[in-house]
Amino acid sequence: MKLTRRDFSKLAGTGILAAAAPGIFAPALAQNKPLRIGIIAPRSGAAGTAGECGIRAVQWAVERLNKDSGIAGRKIDLVIEEETNPKDTIERLRRLILQEKVDAIQGLISTGVSLGVAPVAEEEQALVVMWDGTTQDGVKEMLPNPKYVFRSTDNECEAVMGSLLAVKHFKGKFKRVAGINPDYSYGRNNWEAFRQILTRYGIEAEYVAEQWPKVGTMDLTSHIAALKAAKPDLIFSSMLFADLPVFMKQGHAAGLFDGVKMVLPAAGWQINQLKKEFTPEGIIFGHNTLYFDLPQASPLQKAFVQDYMDKYKEAPHWEADRAYFAMATYKAGVEAAQKAAGKWPTQEQVAEAIPGLEVESLGGKGRFRKDKIAEQVFYQGPSTNTNKYDFPTLASVDVFEASQLQKPPGADFWEWIKTAKMPV
Amino acid sequence: MPSVDIASPAVPRAMPRVSGLWVLLALLAIMALLPFVASPYVLLLMLPFMGYGIALLGFNLLFGTTGLLSFGHAMFLGIGAYTAAALTSKFGVKSFELLLLAAALGSGLVSIVTGLLCVRYTRIFFGMLTLAFGMLFHSFLFKFYAVTGGDQGMRVLRPLLLGMEWRGGKTAFLTGPFYYYSLVLFALLGLAMWRITQSPFGLHLKAIRENAGKAAYVGVQIFRMRLAAFVISAVYGGIGGTILAVTTGLADPELAYWTHSGNLVFMAVLGGSGTFAGPAIGALVFVLLQDFVMSLTQYWRFVMGGVLVLLVVFLPQGLSGAVSLLFNRRNGGR
Amino acid sequence: MTELVDVILGGTFHAAVLFLVAAGLQLVFGVQKLVNLACGSFYALGAYFGITAVGLALKLGLPPLLFFPVLILAGLAIGLVGLPIERVLRTIYRRDESYQLLLTFGFLLMFQDVFRYIWGATPRTMDNVYLVYGTANVLGVRVPTYNLLVIAASIAIAVGLGYFLERTKTGRIVRATAENRDMAEGLGVNASKIFALVFTVGCMLGTVGGALVVPSGAASLDMAVELVVESFAVVVIGGLGSMRGAIVGALIVGLMRAASISLMPEMEMLSVYLVVVLVLIVRPAGLFGKATA
Repeated sequence: MKLTRRDFSKLAGTGILAAAAPGIFAPALAQNKPLRIGIIAPRSGAAGTAGECGIRAVQWAVERLNKDSGIAGRKIDLVIEEETNPKDTIERLRRLILQEKVDAIQGLISTGVSLGVAPVAEEEQALVVMWDGTTQDGVKEMLPNPKYVFRSTDNECEAVMGSLLAVKHFKGKFKRVAGINPDYSYGRNNWEAFRQILTRYGIEAEYVAEQWPKVGTMDLTSHIAALKAAKPDLIFSSMLFADLPVFMKQGHAAGLFDGVKMVLPAAGWQINQLKKEFTPEGIIFGHNTLYFDLPQASPLQKAFVQDYMDKYKEAPHWEADRAYFAMATYKAGVEAAQKAAGKWPTQEQVAEAIPGLEVESLGGKGRFRKDKIAEQVFYQGPSTNTNKYDFPTLASVDVFEASQLQKPPGADFWEWIKTAKMPV
Repeated sequence: MPSVDIASPAVPRAMPRVSGLWVLLALLAIMALLPFVASPYVLLLMLPFMGYGIALLGFNLLFGTTGLLSFGHAMFLGIGAYTAAALTSKFGVKSFELLLLAAALGSGLVSIVTGLLCVRYTRIFFGMLTLAFGMLFHSFLFKFYAVTGGDQGMRVLRPLLLGMEWRGGKTAFLTGPFYYYSLVLFALLGLAMWRITQSPFGLHLKAIRENAGKAAYVGVQIFRMRLAAFVISAVYGGIGGTILAVTTGLADPELAYWTHSGNLVFMAVLGGSGTFAGPAIGALVFVLLQDFVMSLTQYWRFVMGGVLVLLVVFLPQGLSGAVSLLFNRRNGGR
Repeated sequence: MTELVDVILGGTFHAAVLFLVAAGLQLVFGVQKLVNLACGSFYALGAYFGITAVGLALKLGLPPLLFFPVLILAGLAIGLVGLPIERVLRTIYRRDESYQLLLTFGFLLMFQDVFRYIWGATPRTMDNVYLVYGTANVLGVRVPTYNLLVIAASIAIAVGLGYFLERTKTGRIVRATAENRDMAEGLGVNASKIFALVFTVGCMLGTVGGALVVPSGAASLDMAVELVVESFAVVVIGGLGSMRGAIVGALIVGLMRAASISLMPEMEMLSVYLVVVLVLIVRPAGLFGKATA
């Protein structure tokens, strides 16, 4: 076929049309090199399993996006760095920003690391959307008003929800309460939040034992013996690393759980390890922002869960949702900012565009507030072992919005928890 | 199979040659020119190098010169880092000179107490005692989170250099004024360490390493000398830790974890603990190597461990040993 | 009363496993004067491999009741990795100890990624065999029979090791080599062979320890580095190179931890370190050590 002049001008006309409607025919020439997005996530150590799940999810998301039109027409390249200790992770962050010159950064799971990373990202004016790691104390004190750093929902949300469900499902059925929580700020805050909420609901609990095993303790026999000696009716535990399945296994063997109510607000992280044989039923079981077996799940979640379980032979947990949410929010932010600016937006423009944009994540709709803290949907409920898996699912699902569980912008968590209107 | 020695004995045979100081100063001179050519990222990588380099100058007074291997030396880096963190973010002390002084004092004091217990022993016993103290400090940092911030650590705010506030972003600060400040500090501490190793005190330390019994016989006060070396190395460690902490902006408990101490030994051996400048070079190579390997593969621990194994087996005198070996060959020496 | 039994049972179980790893450290140090930082890796290796081996055996139709011997065999078998590692270490026996320490540190780093490559980042747990032997009632305390089996196995290994070192010919040769390698060689002992044997046995103690602990717990990537610290505490308390030291040290650490967990949970690990420091001040060579400067 020969290209006549008329054909050519027609073609040019379409080009102009395409330029005029960037939303449809994304920018063609200058911006056609792929977007580079840095991912920082743990791959080894205690949090390695969480990081791995998040990385898988973000890879899944990128594969889908790249099959489609990418982000505003640009394909996405991931540059993955490992989250280790704060010092080295900050160096990796700087590498992503200064050397790899990535367009945005997502990831981070440990609060300790993220607190070190956040000020550096602010200084470097680099857009960072975090997956996880928003434990209270540090955040309020260290990052009052971030411009580029987007934090996940508060880590205490799950404890607040677990506590509320304990009230809802167990009120009047327990008196002696014991806690076993990981020995770091996350565990401390969760335990304190739980106690506060019981007090709010006028439950006169007697706190008979408190245990603080170090993260990574693989022999909890003595902790279990101490808990057992205290004869609790209810045990609250926010353990979430490999120590949780160990606790359940050893506790089951010692008969700790006979007739005892359990509240495990963060158990979803270890879902695949919590085998039915040693996990009693009726636990208030936290799945955070993604419950893989949700009956009324969105087509998006169903597609993801199916791919994930086919490929990796295990169930995904909330870190997958967080990773997906970060990518989806970034996409929405870029596309909104591009529309507003009429050209490819700067990181600052993207950061300004993100708050308030509602996106669909794996676990449900979510958005960032003005103070750059995420709001997502939380899933917990009493567990059952009647299912086709070798680990528990939920007998009934309680669904809460972050706005019901999370302190409002600017509030102090401990003040808020004393006065907030609770959804139960 | 009879046991073979591939390389010459690991205990360094040579005294630090006169060139040791010059090697270090030449390295620092190159670094002084670096800001004109290198990217900000490379300059930022040089900061941990300077922190480690200073710490290793001290570490090697203990290891290379005196023959004591500490496996808990990261404790002193931790003390330096936490001193900087506590002073800047809790007490509002911003003067970097004061931070350095406090870090030196803090690590010096702690080292006197632990040293009194540790330097009675040598060899592996010394290594294990230092490791035990290091881990004691680590669990203190972790457990007393009301004081130390626990796992979340403590922030280190940007200090004043020479009493002056510096404008610009943090990267500009770190790669500009702070870079040169640390470089000068490195040079001064390097000179001081050179004086120490060349002084009668330094000679005593070497005599102790070569043969403690003989040294005692000719009147060297072994215990005191070792303690002094321990304290000096701790002070260098504290100062190095302060630089590290300002660079990262955070002091965290992992700085004092025993594997971090292991990394310090790795660096010293990588560069060659038998020479004056070797450990500092080891720090440089370690920082660059880790940066490179980490972006190359997710299995970087395996590669770094493998490098260490190969190094220990085939090149026990480190890079400086390799260089001098090459040099000797070329000169017709064996 | 039951509390006391709880503390003793919990502490002894922990001590039983700690003893195995520490005994491996002690044996290797006693003979080869080598402190093996990779002992934690052997422990983790035993744990991971134990899961794989038992999983496989059950799939092949092994009655669950037989998993305990399978586990021990798996631990012994994978302990053979000690042989190639010893070949590498052998190249530097004549060098300063610090290089040997560093070499094992290198192995520790490498192993972490080997585990991740083979078994992934997710902690691994064993198929449910922990309770196949049921639970026992010890003075009113319910305890999994398996825990008692582990304690018994650990005691049996300690006795066996003692018998081997004290009563057998090879054991005497090992001790002679430990006393004076050159002299032993002069008397016709093949020290290389003895070293290979000792290191492999030391390695097996670690892998068996890991294999034994894993049915009750999980294998995870951070278990190696964490355990090194605890077994060092045992060794420092007991005294480097002493087998009796390993037993007593493990019991002290295990019971101390169990006691502080039930009395003052806040002091859990700190109490162990405090004992370490106390021992260092009073008897720097450890309770059974004969170390001098």
